[in-house]
Amino acid sequence: MSVLVLAEHDGKQLKPGVTNMLTAAAKLGDVTVLVAGTQASEAAQAAAKVAGVKKVLLTEAPIYEGSAAENLAALVLTIAEQYSHILGPASAFGKNVLPRVAASLDVQQISEISAVESPDTFVRPTYAGNAMATVQSSDRIKVITVRATAFDPAGEQGAAPVENLAPGPDLGLTQYKGSELSKSERPELTAARIIVSGGRGMGSAENFKLIEALADKLGAAVGASRAAVDSGFMPNEYQVGQTGKIVAPELYIAVGISGAIQHLAGMKDSKVIVAINKDAEAPIFSVASYWLVDDLFKAVPELTKELSS
Amino acid sequence: MKVLVTVKRVIDPYVKVRVKSDGSGVETANIKMTMNPFCEIAVEQAVRMKEAGVVTEIVVVSVGAQQSQETLRTAMAMGADRGILVDAGVDVEPLAVAKLLKAIIAKENPQLVITGKQAIDDDSNQTGQMISALMGWPQATFISTITVNGDTADVTREIDGGLEKLTIKLPAVVTSDLRLNEPRYVTLPNIMKAKKKPMEVIKPDALGVDVTPRLKVLKVQEPPSRSAGVKVADVKELVAKLKNEARVI
Amino acid sequence: MSIYNAPLKDMHFALHEIAGLSEVLSLPGFEDVTPELVAAVLSEAGKFAREVLDPLNRTGDTIGARLENGVVTAPEGYRAAYAKFIEAGWNGLGADPAYGGQGLPHTVAMVVQEIWNSANMSFCLAPMLTSGVLEALRHHASPEQHALFSPKLTAGEWSGTMNLTEPQAGSDLSAVRTQAVRQGGHYLLRGTKIFITWGEHDMSENIVHLVLARTPDAPEGVKGISLFIVPKFLLGADGSAGERNDVKCVSIERKLGIHASPTCVLSYGEDKGAVGHLVGEENRGLEYMFTMMNHARLGVGVEGVGLAERAYQHALEYAKTRVQGRVMTKMRGQPSGDRVTIIHHPDVKRMLLSMKAQTEAMRALAYTAGAALDKARRHPDPAEKRRSQALVDLLTPIVKGWCTEQGVEVASTGMQVHGGMGFVEETGAAQYLRDARITTIYEGTTGIQANDLVGRKVAFEKGATAMALIAEMRALDAPLAALGADFSAARSNFTAAIDSLESATLWVVDTYSQSPNAVAAVAVPYLKLFGAVAGAWVMARSAIVAREKLKAPESDREFLTAKMNTARFYAEHILPQARAHADTVITGSASVLALEEAQF
Repeated sequence: MSVLVLAEHDGKQLKPGVTNMLTAAAKLGDVTVLVAGTQASEAAQAAAKVAGVKKVLLTEAPIYEGSAAENLAALVLTIAEQYSHILGPASAFGKNVLPRVAASLDVQQISEISAVESPDTFVRPTYAGNAMATVQSSDRIKVITVRATAFDPAGEQGAAPVENLAPGPDLGLTQYKGSELSKSERPELTAARIIVSGGRGMGSAENFKLIEALADKLGAAVGASRAAVDSGFMPNEYQVGQTGKIVAPELYIAVGISGAIQHLAGMKDSKVIVAINKDAEAPIFSVASYWLVDDLFKAVPELTKELSS
Repeated sequence: MKVLVTVKRVIDPYVKVRVKSDGSGVETANIKMTMNPFCEIAVEQAVRMKEAGVVTEIVVVSVGAQQSQETLRTAMAMGADRGILVDAGVDVEPLAVAKLLKAIIAKENPQLVITGKQAIDDDSNQTGQMISALMGWPQATFISTITVNGDTADVTREIDGGLEKLTIKLPAVVTSDLRLNEPRYVTLPNIMKAKKKPMEVIKPDALGVDVTPRLKVLKVQEPPSRSAGVKVADVKELVAKLKNEARVI
Repeated sequence: MSIYNAPLKDMHFALHEIAGLSEVLSLPGFEDVTPELVAAVLSEAGKFAREVLDPLNRTGDTIGARLENGVVTAPEGYRAAYAKFIEAGWNGLGADPAYGGQGLPHTVAMVVQEIWNSANMSFCLAPMLTSGVLEALRHHASPEQHALFSPKLTAGEWSGTMNLTEPQAGSDLSAVRTQAVRQGGHYLLRGTKIFITWGEHDMSENIVHLVLARTPDAPEGVKGISLFIVPKFLLGADGSAGERNDVKCVSIERKLGIHASPTCVLSYGEDKGAVGHLVGEENRGLEYMFTMMNHARLGVGVEGVGLAERAYQHALEYAKTRVQGRVMTKMRGQPSGDRVTIIHHPDVKRMLLSMKAQTEAMRALAYTAGAALDKARRHPDPAEKRRSQALVDLLTPIVKGWCTEQGVEVASTGMQVHGGMGFVEETGAAQYLRDARITTIYEGTTGIQANDLVGRKVAFEKGATAMALIAEMRALDAPLAALGADFSAARSNFTAAIDSLESATLWVVDTYSQSPNAVAAVAVPYLKLFGAVAGAWVMARSAIVAREKLKAPESDREFLTAKMNTARFYAEHILPQARAHADTVITGSASVLALEEAQF
């Protein structure tokens, strides 16, 4: 089995999640990583050091500027037949390119796998994660996108060889006109992957800075309980709960929130719930995946610091 | 300019999905169905372009069971001019859908195809990209704006962490993201008019497309339920659990 | 907060299997209305209700309508929602196509009204009153008046109000004092009207008030009341809204529920007199109002259904998510095992089932009355037309009185399911109860409905229609017997309840001619009795249809077996009240009449 992995990178570094995808790839066979871009040699060197990578292919050409789905897919197709599996990340980048590769190979892609059962059998979430489907592919080449958070990141190793791969054709179908990357503005509550919420236990509006610092560290949105809003610590638009916003992020960190049922109704579908409260009997602990009984004024700064190290 | 829009009939997003007890799939019989929300955005975009005078005709296509005619009627109530149902039953895979659409595109000759970025049932996020690959056309996925200028279109795409701007040659395939527009509510008079708009029903055989699935669904399960919580001793342990066990950071 | 989802499957079942939609759609004038079209309309209405109206219900309750300097402002979001509502054409759903309406059957309009009421009763009172005004104008307005008012009202660009009562009059309209003096081609009105729902607001361009008033030489009492159109803004030469008329809102009521809808005191003619246009002839105003009464009263009955459904969905969501207590083991009632959501507790289940059963019975009965109204208007066969008119006349006070009383009860049970959390406003259960409470009062209290039922409906025709209905109910015995042993208690309860209704009806007919007061004293128990048994009638039919449909190989088992069980529950838990009501009717009037005023 030989596996081709299309790496997502910014020219210098691999994007977060690529090493997780390489863990999935390593379960399938010998891994070759394709790093293509206008300038990508540094990223290729980084890829070469990821454990399990046997070879890195580097292609540099101006035609790969931006997301360049058509030209990237065409490049992959120049070597696709040498592989049993072609993997990409289930990110905006990977989702853009891989289906194009799959269709050109007359292959039904397997999207966003969360587990590898065997070389032809995979688990993938459907219905927004409410139904996990185990599917077996009969295609000669498996084209797959990988949900990074479902796999551990691969470690490091001595550098694998980096070879140059000639650019593929320039299809000239699209013209890249630039991109605007948003600064570290916090995501919206309902769209956030991670939310850090504070409750009445925060004590004051001023103290919400602790929550904001932690949220910024995690790229998270900030939320508040009804009690915190009623106490005037935060504006109502931050309210999570039955009368506020209903959220279901991957990670919900409840700080100084006792867990009134109205609050639980707004966040109980979160995938992982962390509760930090000094009251060991707080009802929030009944829904928490992990709970810490501690003074939040000590624990939250510590947590922010721990995440920075 | 003629636009072709695809729509899919899916379980209403407000319905709580239940996995069948035999693990063969998800309960879909007798459940409220609706138009996939991203497809709704795609239809809305086409209608706005028609209202702006850029588009002259909107053909809306669905691949699915007979009941998908209701979904096509909704699209026509929103403003599409006519509908085509490829009566292929349920669970047609994206590759087969793309091939069916390729055959329809060959007949209809649209300048622009708009699809939703993904359907909220199988969450594949493939069909638009596959159509464009099979047609050898440019693609712009996850768009939040589109402006047509003669035989090209300027689009903004939603990418991780920001936006990307492209100019694409037409004909092309674009897929709609959430921020492209806010779909209108269909009006009662338009619901009544929609039933008089033309609807064609075609079988996949007539398009010469084999829709045999390539993926075999071995089982479908509920996601693991929330396991009993764990008390952690300190912040260090918490971070370790979040990184290594829950893998959310 | 729960999210409202229109119960489309239940609605279609009640529409098709109980109310007989296919027969309605075969009536002349409905040639273009197909079941698929009805399904599309209901589905889109459900979507609009869920996404636009339901989210405003809570904030509307909290903020309420506000009055400042004679200007009433609807709560935040309502104006925009109203604009979307009329833009989508919902206002003209059942209205006359001649003025831009869609002319859908009343039966269908009723289902859509249930949807609006579930999502946001305060909001939908505005379009409901507009359609009431259109209904009143339908038969009695002049072609000129139609041309000026009907298209704008149908589109909803202008809204309508009903100005009936006054401070001294209450439910007794013969005491109306507002004066209308003819001046040239119009009248000038002076007086005060109270309880005017959406009497003043900022959602529509103009407001068309229908006002009951007396001309100077009018006879005393109900035969001296005329009906006038009084627009908030006088119409310019081109028919558009122009100068302000002499009518203003002087206060809005503080009230228990429906906070988002302003209940206004309107003062007419404080300055030069409010310009009004006579509808039809002088002194026939009350008669004209009566022609729309079945329509309006059925509409309020549907409010009861809508609120009951909403309260049920809200309580169900809570019961499925609230974890509390453990299930009892078989031994000694000791709790054991894991903590469970409260729906696992038998009493909570019982409450939810009672809400479900009552709501389904109310819905099926209301739609049946709606279908009868359509047939009464359009059936080509005169005999069938008459029969349908008699049925809708009989059912109207029952749907209005019983469905609203049940609505309050269901909303109250909904609060009970929440326990202490329901009494707290934050969970939202209390609002449905508070909002429901007005429905048994306005558009004729339950007492007035009951008097209408025993007097004008049952006694007047010597119980003919009631007895015909009772005969129809008895005919269900054989198919009920075929449902088997599970239904034997339900079946015998049903038979006993029909017997009770029959004897109470005979008592009403016999007693009314000699002692109408004796009947009036127990009219409400009689109405409740009739409601409970009529509810059983439609539920029994549901069970029979469900069993029949279950024979099909691809049937929706989960839904249909629930339908059967819900009907059985109704017969076992709710219907036994019929007997008690009948006993009260037959034996209870003397004790009511015995106590003198001084003894209270």
